[in-house]
Amino acid sequence: MLRLALVFLKIGVAAYGGGWTIVGIIRTEIVGRAWMSAEEFAKLVAMAQITPGPVALNAATLVGYRLHGLLGAAVSTLAVVAAPVALSLLIGGFFAKATKSGARLTEALKTGTIGLIAMTVWAFAPAAVSSGLNVAIALTAFAVSAFTRINPLWIILGSGVIGAATRAFLG
Amino acid sequence: MNDTSPPVKRPGFFSIFGFFFGISAITIGGGYVMVPVIQRALEKRGWLPEDEFYDLFATAQSVPGPLALNTAMFAGRRVAGLPGFLAAFLGILLPPFAAILLLAALLGAIGDWPVVQGFLDGAFAVVPGLTAALAFNMIRKRRWTPLRAVMTVASAVAITLAGTWAVPTFFAVVAVSAFAERKGAC
Repeated sequence: MLRLALVFLKIGVAAYGGGWTIVGIIRTEIVGRAWMSAEEFAKLVAMAQITPGPVALNAATLVGYRLHGLLGAAVSTLAVVAAPVALSLLIGGFFAKATKSGARLTEALKTGTIGLIAMTVWAFAPAAVSSGLNVAIALTAFAVSAFTRINPLWIILGSGVIGAATRAFLG
Repeated sequence: MNDTSPPVKRPGFFSIFGFFFGISAITIGGGYVMVPVIQRALEKRGWLPEDEFYDLFATAQSVPGPLALNTAMFAGRRVAGLPGFLAAFLGILLPPFAAILLLAALLGAIGDWPVVQGFLDGAFAVVPGLTAALAFNMIRKRRWTPLRAVMTVASAVAITLAGTWAVPTFFAVVAVSAFAERKGAC
């Protein structure tokens, strides 16, 4: 349980770049430590994205719940937001004002964040090529969210329905 | 009454809590969906004008953590100080927490049904595409210099290979590239 808290504290500190980057880090930490299989984690991510609220928080809550029940869910959720909350309290509204060092730090963070998202893509890419249907869904999801302003939720729900229908009719 | 007082009465803890609780409970899809919703709702209430919101949003991005949560906390503090900060934190956090536990319990009961399995498999299949699109957009929107290009490629390779060392590697990359940017500027 303590290790769960420490891992999520660490994830929270580097949680730059929004939800999906954080989900990528969570995956690397949890699957990398063999606390959960890749398939189990995939199912959990699917649940996290169809539940209201930030996807990263949902994923953290679910991992904690799966590993240590209700208490684990509370611990992982609070641990993952501890660093953000502390930092938000500490720095005022002054930090991101367009100072020269602020701009430099922003650029450096962008460099690191693109690195993190690359890791996330790499981590989830094998799932996309596991079947022809999954390849098609992943390509559609990419095209729609890269080139249109359609809410990704519709792609997620649509793909879920396609997945359910395929399973129901083809077994 | 003098003309420096804000035009709207400062909202209290519970009205801010209720405000963010409502948004968090009905908005599915993470930060990039929630942030615009929060912005419009704040403006509609007269709590925060749009330009100030985007200043806060920029600050929220310089702190680690879920974007929607950070933005809400900064907005809550801007509107009502520390109570607003706490109200936003709890308001964003509680609905998904409760929803997740309910869903987990529900899936414990019906999770083995083939249709449910198929739905989850399908919903997960979008993740590689969504994350790739996110990377694509970040790469497209950035102002590139040769230095940044080299550093970013190195960063992507290093962090991907780092496994559970990804977090320390991330900070090493940020430190090195902050240093390199300074050298480049001088």
